[in-house]
Amino acid sequence: MHYPWWYVPYVTAPMLIAVISVVHVLVSHYAVGGGLFLAVETGKAYRSGDREYLAYLKRHGRFFILLTVVFGAITGVGIWWTIGLASPLATEVLIRTFVFGWAIEWVFFFVEITAAFVFYYYWGRLAEKTHVAIGWIYAMAAWISLVLITGITAFMLNPGDWRPGDSFWKAFLNPQFIPQTIARTGGALLLSSLYVYLHASLTIRDGRLRDLIEQRSARPALLGAALVTAGGLSWYGFLPELAQAVLVRAAALNVFMGLIFALTAAVFVLLYLGPYRNPGWLSPGFALALFLFGIAVFSIGEFVREAVRKPYIIYNVVLGNQVLPGDVFGSEAVPGLQKTGYLEGGIWTREYVKQHYPGALDGDRIDEKRLLALPHSDRIALGEVLFQYHCNDCHAIHQGYSAVGPLIRGRSPAMIRAVIDDLHGAHFFMPPWAGTPEEAELITNYLAEIAPPRPEGMFPLPAVQEAP
Amino acid sequence: MMPPIDPHGLSAMPAPYWFVQFFKALGFTLHMVPMNLWYAGLLLAMVLHLCGSEHGRRFSGRLMTQMPVLVALGINFGIVPLLFVQVAYYKAFYSATILTAWFWLAIVGLLIPAYYGVYAYALGLRNEQAGLASWRKAAGWGAAMLFILIGFLFANGWSLMTNVGAWSRLWENHSVGGATLGTALNVADRTFWPRWLLMFGLALMTTAAWLVVDAAWFARKENETYRQWASSFAWKLHTAGAIWFAAAGSWYVFGAWQAGLRASMSTGWLHVLMIATALAPGLPWILMALGRKQAPRRATALGIALAQLGVLAVNATSRQVVQNLELKAYLDVAAIREEVQVSPLILFLAVFVAGLGVIGWVIAQAVKASATEPGQSGV
Repeated sequence: MHYPWWYVPYVTAPMLIAVISVVHVLVSHYAVGGGLFLAVETGKAYRSGDREYLAYLKRHGRFFILLTVVFGAITGVGIWWTIGLASPLATEVLIRTFVFGWAIEWVFFFVEITAAFVFYYYWGRLAEKTHVAIGWIYAMAAWISLVLITGITAFMLNPGDWRPGDSFWKAFLNPQFIPQTIARTGGALLLSSLYVYLHASLTIRDGRLRDLIEQRSARPALLGAALVTAGGLSWYGFLPELAQAVLVRAAALNVFMGLIFALTAAVFVLLYLGPYRNPGWLSPGFALALFLFGIAVFSIGEFVREAVRKPYIIYNVVLGNQVLPGDVFGSEAVPGLQKTGYLEGGIWTREYVKQHYPGALDGDRIDEKRLLALPHSDRIALGEVLFQYHCNDCHAIHQGYSAVGPLIRGRSPAMIRAVIDDLHGAHFFMPPWAGTPEEAELITNYLAEIAPPRPEGMFPLPAVQEAP
Repeated sequence: MMPPIDPHGLSAMPAPYWFVQFFKALGFTLHMVPMNLWYAGLLLAMVLHLCGSEHGRRFSGRLMTQMPVLVALGINFGIVPLLFVQVAYYKAFYSATILTAWFWLAIVGLLIPAYYGVYAYALGLRNEQAGLASWRKAAGWGAAMLFILIGFLFANGWSLMTNVGAWSRLWENHSVGGATLGTALNVADRTFWPRWLLMFGLALMTTAAWLVVDAAWFARKENETYRQWASSFAWKLHTAGAIWFAAAGSWYVFGAWQAGLRASMSTGWLHVLMIATALAPGLPWILMALGRKQAPRRATALGIALAQLGVLAVNATSRQVVQNLELKAYLDVAAIREEVQVSPLILFLAVFVAGLGVIGWVIAQAVKASATEPGQSGV
């Protein structure tokens, strides 16, 4: 309640995080697995004296650097940028808890880019053993970066019994840490093989070399697929009960989970029948199909991983609407807001009332009773403020991501008010109403105003007693 | 006026105050070295390629070939101050950036094409002996413009972070239903323009120092006349940068600072710091002036590099002090309670030292390999 809320029409601000995160992971996992691929295969090519393979690996190294050091690194920073804008309270808690985790990860990132540039730009000048060693330094630094970041993202989904004030290690070694590390390590192996296949199929005409690459990357890809499956299953096993319930309850997530399993199976079968058993199959079309299936699994998986946290951003610690679930950190928690008022509890919401409706103040504080005495249009305006700060993190307004308009279409004010009063009772994946009854009335006024009428031709509703 | 930062809601810092301040200033100093080179150096390289002398075009090519690595280093070093600003200044940092959200986010969106523009240009230099294709030249110019725009947006965000008094007005003018649209710009702030321009002066000086360092340490294949040109041109460039820095700095201190801030910076050791910040460019300038008629020697170049690093360090320290003073009425960072995470802090320091060791070894291998012609080992 300390920060201004950023209104992003149609999409909602937190969805920008999801978009950038999904784009980033498609490259960041390749940055890890691809580094391992280059280290292992460069060593193999040196040992066998295969100059054509070495030449290909150098070309792949350039593609790798152009994609991971530029796009991967900047979108990684982009996630950080976006979470601070769209979820500032959660970011504040994460930074405070994991500052040294991020600082350590920065050191490994520094090692990564140094090793990557020397590995590529000094190709042909470094002694073979040194060259491979630097490849391994990159690969290890990249994997440790993955482990460190996974500890933080896993914490957001299930911090276990960590509570504010507890140690860094208790937060980092959370119940989701190992499952997600296994899944992401597998994902890095799998995705990098798919990148290699696509790149090789488009750039290599020599059949022997293409078959060699196909065979060499098949086992890591299959191992990666197996690790993704094992990690995914244990991810489910270590989900908090609420997250499991969300996964089952939301129809869209059901469909997504089905898609993940179907596409993972398709990737597995294609890898087995293609690169593993029949290396000659690697045409550009086949490689592209594998790649698209792979990135679809990753993208959907990341989206599901984010979605099951509802109504939290950090499970049990920070709610999606930038308030705290319990009496932690004091002033920004639900119980306090229910008592003092949501508008009063937020710096910017309180300022809005002071600037626009000074008559609603009693001294320096907002008088809840006076809010209801305001003209109807002002009550709607204040209801909009409440909606922006309390609801817009998950709901667009008229159209867009989970827009509230279509969700309440045709509902009467009384029906809307009943849901507001028992928000988390009516929908367990939503946060509790964090305001006073008077504020519930204001937001009801606003929602009733924007709710589209009940569609023509539907079975008529019985006459209802409207709320005053 | 609204109280935009609630001092009661501050939670404990996980690191000591001095540690946060030190790493924030250190990280920003390190970040400024490559950032200055892409900020002013990239534009200079484009101009020199377009209308420079033979040596000027040679330097342009050299700098642009190095630029992909410099951009990567700049991004990497930028993470450190960005991390520590969020540890101690989060109440100010998040609110300011949220008010300017689309512009702040645009930095990421602009950085991607800017970096690819640099690569397009640099790869063209490596691969196209006959001359650069027009689209690669356009990519280079585009990158130069984008980096200057990115600098504008950064200066906008950082200046707004300490211009707390303007938040309410910007929020009121750029909001719907009390929620910010993220479309505010802090251009009405008197400190914004000189801050932005001040960095360009610093960047010109850093580019000049880099030219000397490059000529002395890395341009072994260049002839003596190029090196002599490098010394002479670097001195002229540094002079231009110093004049720019002095003009923008004077505007900043005497035309934009609040009287209270100026008074605070004119007492005790802060006065010494302010004078040191103003005079610091003199040392690299003198070193360059003394060597401007001869090819740079390695020891001299090292001295110039260290002196320019000192200029950047003293600037970073001054900026840190001024930031704290400007925010103090709303947020006294020094007074925030500390709950230090001891074992992660020790682990970080150990990893930091070990990481520097590994990086040192990797760079040593590269230096050793530099003496080898391509293709002598491996492919």
